[in-house]
Amino acid sequence: MTEIQNPILDVQGLEKHFGGITAIGGLDMRVGEGITGLIGPNGAGKTTFFNCVTGALTPDAGRVAFADGDITGKRPSAVAQEGLVRTFQIPRELPEMTVRENLQLAPRGQSGERLAQAWLRGDEFADDERRVREKAAEMAEFLEIDHVLDAKAGTLSGGQRKLLELARVLLTEPDMILLDEPLAGVNPTLEQKILDRIHDLESQGYSFLFIEHDIDVIMETCERVVVMHQGQVLTSGEPADVKSDDRVIEAYLGEEV
Amino acid sequence: MALADFFISLLTFVTIYSLFGLGLNVKFGFTGLIDFGHVAYFMIGAYVTVFVAMPAGLSETYEGLTGLGLATAFAGVPGGDLLGWLVALVIGMAAAALVSVLVGIPTIRLREDYLAITALGIATILNAIFHNERWLFNGAFGIREVHEPLSGAFPIGTGSFQLNLLLFGLPSVAILGYAAYRTAKVVRPLSVRPALLGTGATLALAGSVVFVITTMTGLVVDLGVFVLNVDNTIAFVLLVGSVVAGRAALTETDHIGALLALASALLFTLWYLGQPLVAFVTEGETADLLLNLFWLYDATAGSAGGLDYDRFFFLFTLAFLVGAYLWVERTVNSPYGRVLRAVREDESVPEALGKPTFRYKIQSLMFGSALAGAAGGLWAANIGFIDPTQFASTVTFFAYTAVIIGGTANNRGVILGTAVFWVINSGTRFLDDFFPSEYAQQLAALRLILIGALLIVILYYRPEGMLGEQDYDIDLGRGGVSDD
Repeated sequence: MTEIQNPILDVQGLEKHFGGITAIGGLDMRVGEGITGLIGPNGAGKTTFFNCVTGALTPDAGRVAFADGDITGKRPSAVAQEGLVRTFQIPRELPEMTVRENLQLAPRGQSGERLAQAWLRGDEFADDERRVREKAAEMAEFLEIDHVLDAKAGTLSGGQRKLLELARVLLTEPDMILLDEPLAGVNPTLEQKILDRIHDLESQGYSFLFIEHDIDVIMETCERVVVMHQGQVLTSGEPADVKSDDRVIEAYLGEEV
Repeated sequence: MALADFFISLLTFVTIYSLFGLGLNVKFGFTGLIDFGHVAYFMIGAYVTVFVAMPAGLSETYEGLTGLGLATAFAGVPGGDLLGWLVALVIGMAAAALVSVLVGIPTIRLREDYLAITALGIATILNAIFHNERWLFNGAFGIREVHEPLSGAFPIGTGSFQLNLLLFGLPSVAILGYAAYRTAKVVRPLSVRPALLGTGATLALAGSVVFVITTMTGLVVDLGVFVLNVDNTIAFVLLVGSVVAGRAALTETDHIGALLALASALLFTLWYLGQPLVAFVTEGETADLLLNLFWLYDATAGSAGGLDYDRFFFLFTLAFLVGAYLWVERTVNSPYGRVLRAVREDESVPEALGKPTFRYKIQSLMFGSALAGAAGGLWAANIGFIDPTQFASTVTFFAYTAVIIGGTANNRGVILGTAVFWVINSGTRFLDDFFPSEYAQQLAALRLILIGALLIVILYYRPEGMLGEQDYDIDLGRGGVSDD
């Protein structure tokens, strides 16, 4: 098990219980730069882990540090402001708003988002909004959803929703992105497109923690893999080592791999 | 009373309730907060404005807290009582916003249906307090000492009858003409045949109503049976005719809105100008015709006629409505408004993207409540008397009905929906004169049934309301890049 020297995300002793059920029991995880895969059987606590880290759920115990700051128990918006954002397993588009508006919503630090600025409209108001429009249009082009910019997001196909979800978190210009099964229910062509984009972004300096069930994708994409089982980290390390680990085979991969 | 006077008072109601509805639209339409206690802020705005403006010791029957007397505080300044009242109104708005924060902080984290029920409960409690605590604002006895800003200055006008007619009569006719022009523009997409059929259907419908009313006012009604006679036979034929013509018109056009506009414009013209015109031609009666045509000009006000206080107050409330409309438009057509709508669609998304949604929801609640408070202050000055029964929960639900009919998340829709609602609810009140007085209660219930039926039809066929959600465009000023 290789140790991460300079973790961006450092989780220690994380616990989350729902009534008598332990979803996460004393989990330690350190995630560094690059693309890290997070695998584990259904019910291992992966999504609960995401929820606890990003503030959607308050952990019962433990400490979450991100980029040297303590983010334990902060609200999701505060965590996102720190530069840690997540996508949702089932894409959450804003159905009655256009794709363009969905995208323009995302960038952080828009002065026009403050009520006083929306009313008084100083010089920065228009400049900021122009910047937001440009960035949203660029991102739509990058993820190839620019032809549906004026459609209501509720009319998009499943794959386009996945792309919109990804585009939105990218527009917040985060340091790290938690991807919750971005490839689930996506056809092979689109899957390759999303993976290509993730690699592009990695080379631009973004870091990812990536929940995925397809072990081949994990092998190809990730520099490191963390395996979760029953609310704990079972093991972590290089993809090849993890794949051949007996405990991982027993708990998750099965005999046939 | 001429129809013009009736319309002035109806329009004043519509304007005040539209302002109230705009506040609801900020919360419900743009942010998705279901606040069933909206009327509480209307009540607080009304009471606080009245209380702050009210001079002390005006009445022996008032046993509440002594007023702050702002209406007389600026007595030395020209228009000082208006200034005092405006300050009182701002304080009333601030009080409404403040109370909404106190209500909002514990409740706004709740799921939306719980929020709705909690807000309803709090509004009911506040109403009960205002109703029972006489030391506060005189309890159930209400407040009669309502300051009406500038009321002393009216009627205004020049000394000359002709000049007054020119000054106030010309704008009246111009506005009527402009309304006709706008209606014509809406009706233009109709081709000749549907337009003719629509006109026929409208006239037949109007005729059948007239015949039904003339029949019902006879003795037949007292027998409780609908006896076949000439009048109701004609009415029946006309009614069937209007249905057939209406159906034919509807099947031949995609422009149902234009057809509706044509029908209502025709009925309105018949009622508003046709009726006095008949009186003028047959009996040489000019008073109603002139009053309706020059509706801003009241010939009976003062020695040479002029602008009376009711007409002024309508224009006064209209100015507030226009101001609030532009204010809300500016708010929603901004990145701020974009976040509000994102909260409405799915709160977890803006939250996950770094927007503190709790703050947005509280601000939206405050803004909407402040607008309701402004409506309350105007309401009090318009009625001249307030008591807690005017602020029952039904007022909230009437506003919801109006917003849903006109178009949720559409500020013009709110005004349209409010107009439709109050025209049905109050505009048909003149029909009561034609019926025996013992049917007054049934007629009031019938109006609500009619509104309920309209609401069901809208929700079934057009759930987004008559106008649907509005379009948004953030104005970037000069050099702004178009967003399309």
